[in-house]
Amino acid sequence: MSTAAFAPSPLEKRIRLLLPWLLLGVLAFLPTAGLTPNIIRLLFITFVWVTTSLGWNLLGGLAGQVSFGFAVFYGLGAYSAALLIDRGVNPYLSFLAAGLIPALASVFIGLPTFRLRGPYFAIATIGVSEATRVIMNNLAITGGASGFRIMEHRPFHQVDHYYTALGMAALAVAASFLIMHSKFGMGLRAIKQDEDAAADLGVNPYSYKLAIHAVAAAFTGIAGGVFARYAAFIYPQGVFAFQTSVYILLMPVIGGIGTVWGAVLGAVVFGIVEEQLVANFPQIHLLLYGALLILIILLEPDGLAGMLGKLFRRLRRSKRKNGNADSGSREADEVLRGAGRG
Amino acid sequence: MPEQHIYGFIGPNGAGKTTLFSMIAGALQPSAGHIRSRGKDVTGQRPFSLVKSGIARTHQVVRPFRAMTVLENVQVASHFGRKNITRTAAARDYAMQVLARVGLDHRADALAANISLGDQKRLELARALATDPELLLCDEICGGLSPTETRTMLDLLRRIRQQGTTIMYVEHDVKAIMAVCDRVMVLNYGQKLAEGNPHEIQNDQSVIEAYLGKAGSQKKGRVA
Repeated sequence: MSTAAFAPSPLEKRIRLLLPWLLLGVLAFLPTAGLTPNIIRLLFITFVWVTTSLGWNLLGGLAGQVSFGFAVFYGLGAYSAALLIDRGVNPYLSFLAAGLIPALASVFIGLPTFRLRGPYFAIATIGVSEATRVIMNNLAITGGASGFRIMEHRPFHQVDHYYTALGMAALAVAASFLIMHSKFGMGLRAIKQDEDAAADLGVNPYSYKLAIHAVAAAFTGIAGGVFARYAAFIYPQGVFAFQTSVYILLMPVIGGIGTVWGAVLGAVVFGIVEEQLVANFPQIHLLLYGALLILIILLEPDGLAGMLGKLFRRLRRSKRKNGNADSGSREADEVLRGAGRG
Repeated sequence: MPEQHIYGFIGPNGAGKTTLFSMIAGALQPSAGHIRSRGKDVTGQRPFSLVKSGIARTHQVVRPFRAMTVLENVQVASHFGRKNITRTAAARDYAMQVLARVGLDHRADALAANISLGDQKRLELARALATDPELLLCDEICGGLSPTETRTMLDLLRRIRQQGTTIMYVEHDVKAIMAVCDRVMVLNYGQKLAEGNPHEIQNDQSVIEAYLGKAGSQKKGRVA
């Protein structure tokens, strides 16, 4: 966790600060480079997943509260935006509602469930999620099992959707960094480690968990809303499905739980892999996800980001070895790698 | 209870020392009676609000945030204690000062899981101190420490008292209590057995009986 022993050079720091902007610039220019609509669609979906992944990561990765119930927020966001846009409300205002309504719902869900800890909380969220799906499937307003078609009274431009999703994902990255490096984030990290010890230092675990739950729900809901507008057709068994909850949880776990870039990476990889898996193994793709999840948790709990970090450190170490560097820092390296594993 | 004192609590196993602490610190609810701090009733307040009214504790079994650095551990307390510092840079500075006070600043960037037990005990103290308490509850802060480490820890407690904090101190090691406390209370089976300065306690008949039994008192045995 600690990077103190590596004290990156000023140049490296500057590159690290520049890279996200560079990435954003490239992504902003891509649609003008004559990509096929299919690639643009794939990128759009990836941005949606990046946002949900970052949202889940705030609650699950930063505050350590593993939830299997994020489909509730995704679905509520999707339906809030869908119903409003269908009534002629400005889509961007609708996205605002798609964030607010799930955030409100998260408080009602959190009030009882955050009385539970660890696996008990996780199990409770499954119950809430499934109950919501059944209720939504039987409400007239959602269109029930036959779904809901959104009539938006303006022409469809795929690039509009692309930029909306890109902006949303970029905001989610920025907000995640701000939260993680704030007092709020420190309190959440403490809660993840030891709730009681955190309370002894003045952190109110219950209200902090409720607060980050609401932020995470807003991220997820907006993503659901942006997706719904693009898809123009949603149905409760899709957006509220347990499978959606699992997808949202899987991405940050694949990428690297608790880090911003890990969550982003997980969503990107998942976006690509899912497309292939569903196309090639429609019957068993859920089984493959399960296997993947088990493998990652057993072999590399820090996910792809943790794996890349280790690789990077090893490369640097061998470079240092060739350069006849001091053994002291190499020892520190060893200690840190051990700590990362523990 | 007098202010700016080190107030020691001793008693045989199961006498209720840690229970008393847990009730004051808000981890347990008393089944009867009230707890008052400076005339204010704080009975049944949750730990995080007690911290805000100036009561902090250390744990008998250390509970560091293991995956965080020593500095980050203390930073949490600087943010959420009575100082209530919002800016992270300021909280880090303050945490660093507190680490220097307990002599742990050289380990600031180490992971809390990787430091020795002695250092973890000091970290426990540093975190409680960083909440800026008026009343500090120390539960067995010297438990498991070597005699040298114990001596530095006791010096540290004296210095904290000099800087204006009242300390309630529970310890099994009667010698440590006698060396550092201004007043001592002896508990047995949840009851107050005796109270006074260390010298009075050492010569109290009922205390000697509780520790050594009747036979011990006939031999005029001394505690400690």
